[in-house]
Amino acid sequence: MVEKPITGSRKAFMTGNEIVTWAALASGADIMFGYPITPQNEVMHYWTRLAPRFGREFLQTEDEISAGFTVCGAVQAGRKAFTATAGPGNVLMQEPFGMAEAMRLPVVAVIQQRGGPSSGTVVYSQQEVTLTAYGGNGEGHRIVYSVATHQEIFDYVIKAFNTAWTYRFPTFVLGDGYQAKMREPLELYDPAERGIQLVPPTPLVGLPGAIGEDREPQHLCNIYSLEEELYDAVLRLEKDYQAMAPLVVEWQEKNCDHAELIVVSHGVVSRAADDAVQALRQEGVRAGFFRPVTLRPFPQQQLREALRRSGAGRLLVAESSQGQLLRLLRQELYGERVPIDALLMPGVGIVDEDIIAKVKSIL
Amino acid sequence: MARIVEAYVGEYASGKSEIAINRALELSGCGQPVTLVDLDTVEPFYTLRPLKAWLEQQGITVVGSGQEESFGLGETGGRIHPAARWALRREGVIILDIGYGVFGARTLNLVEGAQADPDLRVLAVINTARPMTSSVADIVGYVRDLGRVDALVSNSHLGDQTTPEFIIAGHRKVVQAARELGLPVAFLAVEERWREPLEAVDLGGVPVKYIRRYMPAALW
Repeated sequence: MVEKPITGSRKAFMTGNEIVTWAALASGADIMFGYPITPQNEVMHYWTRLAPRFGREFLQTEDEISAGFTVCGAVQAGRKAFTATAGPGNVLMQEPFGMAEAMRLPVVAVIQQRGGPSSGTVVYSQQEVTLTAYGGNGEGHRIVYSVATHQEIFDYVIKAFNTAWTYRFPTFVLGDGYQAKMREPLELYDPAERGIQLVPPTPLVGLPGAIGEDREPQHLCNIYSLEEELYDAVLRLEKDYQAMAPLVVEWQEKNCDHAELIVVSHGVVSRAADDAVQALRQEGVRAGFFRPVTLRPFPQQQLREALRRSGAGRLLVAESSQGQLLRLLRQELYGERVPIDALLMPGVGIVDEDIIAKVKSIL
Repeated sequence: MARIVEAYVGEYASGKSEIAINRALELSGCGQPVTLVDLDTVEPFYTLRPLKAWLEQQGITVVGSGQEESFGLGETGGRIHPAARWALRREGVIILDIGYGVFGARTLNLVEGAQADPDLRVLAVINTARPMTSSVADIVGYVRDLGRVDALVSNSHLGDQTTPEFIIAGHRKVVQAARELGLPVAFLAVEERWREPLEAVDLGGVPVKYIRRYMPAALW
């Protein structure tokens, strides 16, 4: 009898990468495919140390393209599979991720963002927003959770497996170099004991029964040779995606009532934004906080509502990139007349003082 | 006075760098010349580097690359400062902060004279909040894999969520593991804020060092 990775719940002091491994174990992941890349290496290090103990498997492929495709293969065979990567590895995986979009494969990938443009820069950044949400030759039919704390890494990796296997769109947990390496306390728990039911994996191919008699054919298509065929396929994907979007969209809103200005940020920067908004409120500055937890689908309706409810006359975007969240925001808020200011610090961490100073310079 | 040469090894995020810094500051505060050597080849980007200038202002000689010296290196893989190889030839106290795990511990082999140095003590830092060293059996297995270890350092905590009960329960596991390994526990490291609640507690005769946390400043 293989023991459960976590029974009950317990406090631990860990790095973000290790948490990904423990969460994947707790999610019932069967196998990880991967290729080493900083800053996600410890996900693989810890998975390879722990997987044998809990009867799980690992394959290091020859590159990230193969790691992505082997995940695509394993999930078709009915195995909960995942990968973790960063930067140029995320670039290489866009081909398999596109296949997963087309074939509706429940692929789970953890992305620990690193800086760019570059093939070799390993440091923190938030510059993989566009790539993770919209990379590939498709329409971005993906789900992207941008996490902010170590507890969230644990919670959202578990959630990502369930989302992927429920809706069958490729699902991403977007972290970054800081979250990968930072050490924080968190609570590890057995999902079952928190009332979280793990969605069981099922094979997508080789199903029982005769096609046409017992069941419809399972048509997992990745190749369309007629333009009209592709047109129909994309419209179908879009329709399913839009139907799913309200069920998975997540956001956080704080202090937006009567706010003059709302700070919008995601991931680790939202922790600084939260602190900054609280400090500003204590000084009597009417600042609000809005954080998209899912970058795709984007909580655009919720942000529009927060704007209307608060009467805020300005938005401030804070991010460690040269405007990737800002571009998303402009696209998602099209038609709103609110001016958007931006604190853009590509590659550099943003702390509460940075945001406080920027807000004061605006108001 | 005996020469002090200490190498800190152990599990990832067990507190090696934090203990090494605190130890260097403690001994420097006693008026001894102290050299702190960054031998973490596993994490060249998340170690003492951001604290180097500050540590030098405190009078400690830091052998390792500073922020500017690391510019342009990118993903060059494991790299130690050339001077680290000869660190054991230096005068005074020498504190070595080593990379994590079995492979990290082998970094010590890159230091000239490490095998023969009569004063060198290899100390394994243990935090029971780290899942790989959370039980007595885990600690014993982990330390046996590390190679040479002369003593354990008891360092159980949960960062900002630490409680005295957690420290004490962790410490008892470390003491038990040390007994099974036939090793001493060199000291128990706890944050200064726990001085009062721990003063009356039976810690199995292990000396306590009250430390400050410097490493949170190393990331941002």
